[in-house]
Amino acid sequence: MVKRILLSFVFLLFFSLGCGTKEKWNTATFLYFDTICEINLFCSPQHFESCQREVSRVFSEIENCFSPGTTDFSSPHVLDLFNKASKVFQDSDGFFDITVAPLSRLWGFVDKKHRVPRPEEIKKALNYIGMNKIKIDNDRLLLPPEMELDWGGIAKGLGVDLATKTLKEIGISRGFINTGGDLFCWGKNPSNSLWKIGIKHPRKKGFLGVLSLSERGAATTGDYQRYFLRGDVRYHHVFNPHTGYPARKKQSVTVIGPKTLYCDALSTALFACPHPEKILDKYPDYGAIIVDSGGNIFKIGKSYAFSFI
Amino acid sequence: MDRRYFCKTFLFMPFLSPLLNASTNTNSDLELQLITSSPHNVILPLLKEIQKTHMFRCRDFTVLNYFPQKEELIKVLSKNQWRYVLKPSQADFIITFCRLLNPTSPSFTLIKKDKVWDIRHKNLFSLWQEMNKNHQPSSWLTIVSFNRKKINLRRGSFASVYIDGKKVESLSLKNSYSKSFKTKRGKIDVLIEKGNARVVDSSCRKKICLNTSPVSLEGERIICAPNHFLLEIDSFHFIDTVIG
Repeated sequence: MVKRILLSFVFLLFFSLGCGTKEKWNTATFLYFDTICEINLFCSPQHFESCQREVSRVFSEIENCFSPGTTDFSSPHVLDLFNKASKVFQDSDGFFDITVAPLSRLWGFVDKKHRVPRPEEIKKALNYIGMNKIKIDNDRLLLPPEMELDWGGIAKGLGVDLATKTLKEIGISRGFINTGGDLFCWGKNPSNSLWKIGIKHPRKKGFLGVLSLSERGAATTGDYQRYFLRGDVRYHHVFNPHTGYPARKKQSVTVIGPKTLYCDALSTALFACPHPEKILDKYPDYGAIIVDSGGNIFKIGKSYAFSFI
Repeated sequence: MDRRYFCKTFLFMPFLSPLLNASTNTNSDLELQLITSSPHNVILPLLKEIQKTHMFRCRDFTVLNYFPQKEELIKVLSKNQWRYVLKPSQADFIITFCRLLNPTSPSFTLIKKDKVWDIRHKNLFSLWQEMNKNHQPSSWLTIVSFNRKKINLRRGSFASVYIDGKKVESLSLKNSYSKSFKTKRGKIDVLIEKGNARVVDSSCRKKICLNTSPVSLEGERIICAPNHFLLEIDSFHFIDTVIG
């Protein structure tokens, strides 16, 4: 008799727990990194609230550490991200460089007063550019005077990776995080297949194509997000760190791979450099979709499912 | 109360049923394609069998377009356990008719989640054999869709190709080209032209796929059961998110 009551009690407890936590798709948007961040997760509504809190916590921490003009390099994230950025800097022959901040300032992308600088101004600014000029002493970054860091090409990727890690740890098995240009998706999408990620067309309304991904990150760098026109010339925010001028010959670069951080950094590197294949040879798990200045689309590196529109 | 009785009563208690339903996939996607001039004569055992093997509700139905035997079909179904409704949004399953390009011998195929459902070991096999014996060709294709978004009247921009239920290719409908697909049982050639996709050659016996009209609208499909081949026009809401 006792056994029977106990058994029925266990049954009831089990099922009542099951009824209360019905999983469904939840979405939320946040404002971080100057852009709209979107999350879509499969979990119970109660669980989703804690997920939102976690994502906000991670994003605001990253934003505090890496906002433009920050000179406080005491956070352990800073050294870690600096080392990762250095790796991409070396692998890309300096085409990815987080020290381009003086150039952004000179071209007016920081104070939004866009201007085309004189050649001698650019030449002067180039003296303060180059990650190899930064020394590390006692786990602290030593920045020469006049040099400034711009983490914009890598920090969002780190934020997405850290938030994904946290969400996975608290048991989210399906979902995506999208911070505008940087994304990570895992598990299956609501229709039980791979996530379908549309890539914006750099010139036209609508999409360039659609990626089918899971357990992968993706990031896009384009000349159409932040730019100004002088006459017919488009001056955008992705600089060639060797010349000091906006990188030419490409409209958009999307990189796909296991870590959003590297997708983010590599998309900037591939955008700026003349031979993107050479860089991707060093990253065998990463692939890219490139639109050149003529509007031609081509794929390099590891091939991921991509369908054109 | 012995243990067996206990489990039986517990498992059939009504409050458990939502939980049991939640564990099955409610996003079921099942389609019956039937080639015959008189669907009202063969559809009953098929629907009964489908109802037996699936947990989702299928009581209300609607018929979207005209077909010579449309009234007979509605009558037959209404006499049994099904109810005819006018609005597609209220229907659990939707019946549509298509004309084939050329008459083909009668047959039926079940497609479950983009995969041709193997019915060889099921009760339906005898019915299938019987239909195949009837050699009077028909040019009417009846499509019964369960739990499925209805076909949009918008032209699609992509066609997805599934072989053995796996997506193998996504074809853009923008340009004109042809593409050949190898399957375990032969091959199949697809031609994309003026925004339409159609099968132009196939190793299968009956060539039903060859006689299916070209597809261009979101959600439209071409199926070749012997090759376990399925082509579907993607609908645009399939994008989950956008970057860039």
